[in-house]
Amino acid sequence: MDSSQRQQLSELVEDLTTSGQMQLNQDKMKKLKNICRVSNECIDHVYHSAMSQLNQDHAEIRLSAFQVISELFSRSHHFRTLLVENFQVFLELTVETDTEQPLPPPKEAAKKLRSQAIQTIQSWQASYGSAYKKLALGYHFLKQVKKVDFQDAEARTVAERRREEERSRKMETIYRARVQAAAAEMEESSQDIEAALTEMDSCMKLLFPDFSPSDFLSARSSSDSKPDPDCPSEGDEPCCSKDLQRSRRGGHVQEEEREKGDEENITRKEGRGMAGEEREDAEFKEHRDRRVKECEMESDEEEESVDEGSFIRNSGLVSYSYSLNVSLGPALRVEETDDNEPVVSTMMELHQLLTTKYLPAVNTWVQVFTKSHAEPQLLRRALDLKKSLEAAVNKHKELNIDHKSRIRKVMTAPLDDDEEEDDFEEVPEKEGYEPHIPEHLRAEYGLDPSPSTSAAPLSQHKPPAALLPSTSSSSSRRLKRLQEEEQDPTSAASTLRLLRQKFQSQPSSSSLLDSTAAPSGSDQKAAEVPVVPFGLDLYYWGQEQPNAGKIIKSTSQHQFWVPAEVEEEVENKDLLASSRSRYISFPGTFIPVDHFCRAPLGNGKLCQRQDRIKCPFHGRIVPRDSEGRPCREEDRRREEEERRKRRKRREQQPDWRDPELMRDIEAATGEDLGSDHVPGKKRKGKKKYPNLSDLKQSSNTLRSRLEKKIFNKSALRRVAQGSSGPEDTYALLSCESEPLMRPGLNPPELLFVSSCSEGPRHQVQMADQSFGGAAVCLRV
Amino acid sequence: MSHCSISSLQMLGFLTARQSGLDDPLRMRRAESTRRVLSLTLDPDRDVDRIHGNGINTIDIEAVEGRYMLSGGADGVIVIYDLENYSGKLQYTCKAVCTVGRSSRHVHKFSVETVQWYPFDTGMFVSSSFDKTMKVWDTETLKPAEVFQFEGNVYSHHLSPIARKHSLVAVGTNNPKIQLCDLKSGSRIHVLQGHRAEVLSVRWSPRYEHILATASADSKVNVWDVRRASGSLFTLDQHNGEKSKASAEAVNTAHNGRVNGLCFTSDGLYLLTTGTDDRMRLWNSASGENTLVNYGKVCNESRKKLQFAVSRGCSPDFVFVPCGSSVAVYALHTGELVTMLRGHYNNVDCCEFHQDHQELYSGGKDSNILAWVPVLRTADVEDESNNDNKGAAGLSAVNPAFQDAWSSDED
Repeated sequence: MDSSQRQQLSELVEDLTTSGQMQLNQDKMKKLKNICRVSNECIDHVYHSAMSQLNQDHAEIRLSAFQVISELFSRSHHFRTLLVENFQVFLELTVETDTEQPLPPPKEAAKKLRSQAIQTIQSWQASYGSAYKKLALGYHFLKQVKKVDFQDAEARTVAERRREEERSRKMETIYRARVQAAAAEMEESSQDIEAALTEMDSCMKLLFPDFSPSDFLSARSSSDSKPDPDCPSEGDEPCCSKDLQRSRRGGHVQEEEREKGDEENITRKEGRGMAGEEREDAEFKEHRDRRVKECEMESDEEEESVDEGSFIRNSGLVSYSYSLNVSLGPALRVEETDDNEPVVSTMMELHQLLTTKYLPAVNTWVQVFTKSHAEPQLLRRALDLKKSLEAAVNKHKELNIDHKSRIRKVMTAPLDDDEEEDDFEEVPEKEGYEPHIPEHLRAEYGLDPSPSTSAAPLSQHKPPAALLPSTSSSSSRRLKRLQEEEQDPTSAASTLRLLRQKFQSQPSSSSLLDSTAAPSGSDQKAAEVPVVPFGLDLYYWGQEQPNAGKIIKSTSQHQFWVPAEVEEEVENKDLLASSRSRYISFPGTFIPVDHFCRAPLGNGKLCQRQDRIKCPFHGRIVPRDSEGRPCREEDRRREEEERRKRRKRREQQPDWRDPELMRDIEAATGEDLGSDHVPGKKRKGKKKYPNLSDLKQSSNTLRSRLEKKIFNKSALRRVAQGSSGPEDTYALLSCESEPLMRPGLNPPELLFVSSCSEGPRHQVQMADQSFGGAAVCLRV
Repeated sequence: MSHCSISSLQMLGFLTARQSGLDDPLRMRRAESTRRVLSLTLDPDRDVDRIHGNGINTIDIEAVEGRYMLSGGADGVIVIYDLENYSGKLQYTCKAVCTVGRSSRHVHKFSVETVQWYPFDTGMFVSSSFDKTMKVWDTETLKPAEVFQFEGNVYSHHLSPIARKHSLVAVGTNNPKIQLCDLKSGSRIHVLQGHRAEVLSVRWSPRYEHILATASADSKVNVWDVRRASGSLFTLDQHNGEKSKASAEAVNTAHNGRVNGLCFTSDGLYLLTTGTDDRMRLWNSASGENTLVNYGKVCNESRKKLQFAVSRGCSPDFVFVPCGSSVAVYALHTGELVTMLRGHYNNVDCCEFHQDHQELYSGGKDSNILAWVPVLRTADVEDESNNDNKGAAGLSAVNPAFQDAWSSDED
């Protein structure tokens, strides 16, 4: 074999193995085989070069080398003897028999190599096992010691398989236990759930006699016809007919209504805090609307009083032109009253129970059953439960129960007691005195909406005069009377007015409690006084200290023996000073940067970096106008200067002298343009094997780049030495941040988050703004 | 001229010289043994039954007939193989004659570390194990005739191959004290004190029946005369007493690590030791002098006893020492590495030389026992020119797998 052949073989093997392909190039392989069949020396050479390629730490190279080897193995006896001689090494490199020598990355290629190698070895064993003793031994070794299952497509070792089995078994037992637990739980609580459901159902039936949509309409109409004003659905009745009745009944309707409102308001007030202001607002509006309609109604009535009787009799409507809008939307609503209160509260409790306890429990059961493929009847049962629970909850939602606040119960109890005890004589109400004026009636009384009940800003409420332009005459009269009363200092109205004025003078404090608790001026000052820990200086505050700073040494108490004379009192200036002075360490506070660099960027935007003093890209931060031009003259001049310099530099090295471009032209034309003399980028080392997947690439991530920068020695030293001020750290981070830029992105914003120095330890946390979250946390 | 014809000519020369009385018969025997040892390869035809489910720690071939081999495995199993091939065929599997398997009531609970035939009769053998026992077995019934209990794991035991006046078994255990058990009385009769760490290997001298060598994890090797109770005869010193070279701790150490292998040469004049410092040393067993033969690096990572062998009756003798997953063959006195016998797929723990047939048996962690045999002489062919072709043809006739298979489309 001459040297040219040898050379050719080496090149062929290298080309074949560094192609990065999963399959070999057949042409090259053919060439290789053609040379190999000439002599055993060629095979020797190929064997050694293939084995050295098989030793490379790259799974793709190994895979290709393995494929070359397996091609030759089936061809040449000499090659077989060579390989079998070294078979344990071959196994280590392809099948990973040595756990300390795992297959190199990339993973896919390694996996493929392994499974291919195992399959090939099996076929080798079948055809050559009897002839090559060591091959048979290797096969047995794989089979018996490494317990490789050659039938397994995955070609996993027995350890992996066992691990897999173990895991699945463990999961199975866990699932089984869970299913059992869930089933038992379901068994236990399904009765409770059903009981709760029936209870809820009956509650609903009580509240709403029948709960099917068709019945529902009839139920509503029946409630319509009822004269009882306390009917549960009164709240959203179209008010025409009722109001009509009321207006017919005359003035006492209003009285009645007011009383009712009072009642409501009393209860509301007591349940203050829970009662939403919005609801009150809504009610207020409602009442207003009603009142407006009433007025219209009255006028209508007057107009069409002639054939009113017959028309009403015929159609049940008040007038021909009167159109009745019945909204059936979601407005199904149950208002809580004293009558249905126990029912509603039970219902609420039940609802609470269903949503917080049963429904989540049922959901988890369903999950458990589906996940662990439990028996279908269990799952079905759980699903049934879930369905009925959800239906109940939905029904409850549809009911729109307008319940009063719950705290009321506690508050009303003593009140009821009072009533029962009846210790106090019933005193007839003083005329015009209203202990509590309901929100919607306050306007009539000439009062601003009560600030004590409404925490909402006062401005939200429109002035009453504008709100009700056409108040009834009686109410205007009353208003007048009220105004008169206000003049009388003994009347309640005047007291209220005084109170109101007081509230208005303190617009910020909306609650009575706040206003009374408001600190007086001296108190406020006291709050600003710093609190310092107690010390010697405070102990002797304003006193002369007779012994301060003196160290008194006691003379020897010995009977006979007297030591050399000592000064009994030594004055120590430092001590004296320390008892009179106090050190207060003032670490200062971190002030976040709130300005931007705002230098104009190439894309027309302004630089959004928030550096304290200097932007790493645009230099010192100077005030700029809206287009990014510096405001000050000297800054503008300096920037101009820099721009000129840059242009100059570019002119010196024009675009066409770009070394890469020149090199391309040189390569194309074959003429030397002198690209090598151009200063600038060095010729990038061409990758030796461009087809192979780059192992280093995976490690070239944002994190690794950041780590490289942050943990490099000089940075660490700087952090360790730096005077621990936030300023320094910040400077470090900002100056280190430039190389971390990702091409095509804005410079990642490195945010300084915290730097607390505890002696020699520093903790620096950095956040990468563009990616969100802390990028690196570094302890030095 | 081919190699085989040269050797066959040599053989003929030896034969005539012997016939005519020119040569000592021993000379020809030595020359032939040496040639055979030098040509040891993995036997393509011989298999040893795979009984052990785990690594093989120790093997021993009986000296009476040279026919039966004992093996002890890490699974506690002891197997006896018949090595002799009476089938008349080339292909042969060494059958397991009998087995003390896991199902046996008397099986060792843990890994069997040493097995040894009774040197004068195959009716008895001794095994010791990590289950802290040493058992003396009756080969016929495969039941222990005697069980010695110890406090710690038994690393090694040895019966003197030549003793006529005593039947002592020296036992090295976790305990630094070496136990001497008397097979006659069935009791532990004596203790040898001197080591400071566990005793990994013990060996009786094949020359003097009362001389015993012991190797310990304290990197010392002591040589004892068991008739003298007070202490060892001497301790092997790797620096031969040159204190200037040795630091204070290294005085009287044989290795710079645990000493886990001991072997006398067949004549008992020399002692070989191996240690975890990857060295092998050859000592004069009479004086305890380090002969300073350099064997180079002998890989040795074993935490336990390493069983290695020395050839017998060759003109330069050879050492067979496990070295990773192969067996290294060194020339005893020059330290030259002759060859590496590669065939195991995992660490080799023991090897044993068959004195009569110049064969080597090795057992390793891959639960294989491999037989290494001299390459057979190929039949000499009269016509030298036709030799190559006919040889290839003959081979392919034997096994088609040896044929090349270049397909025609590669032209």
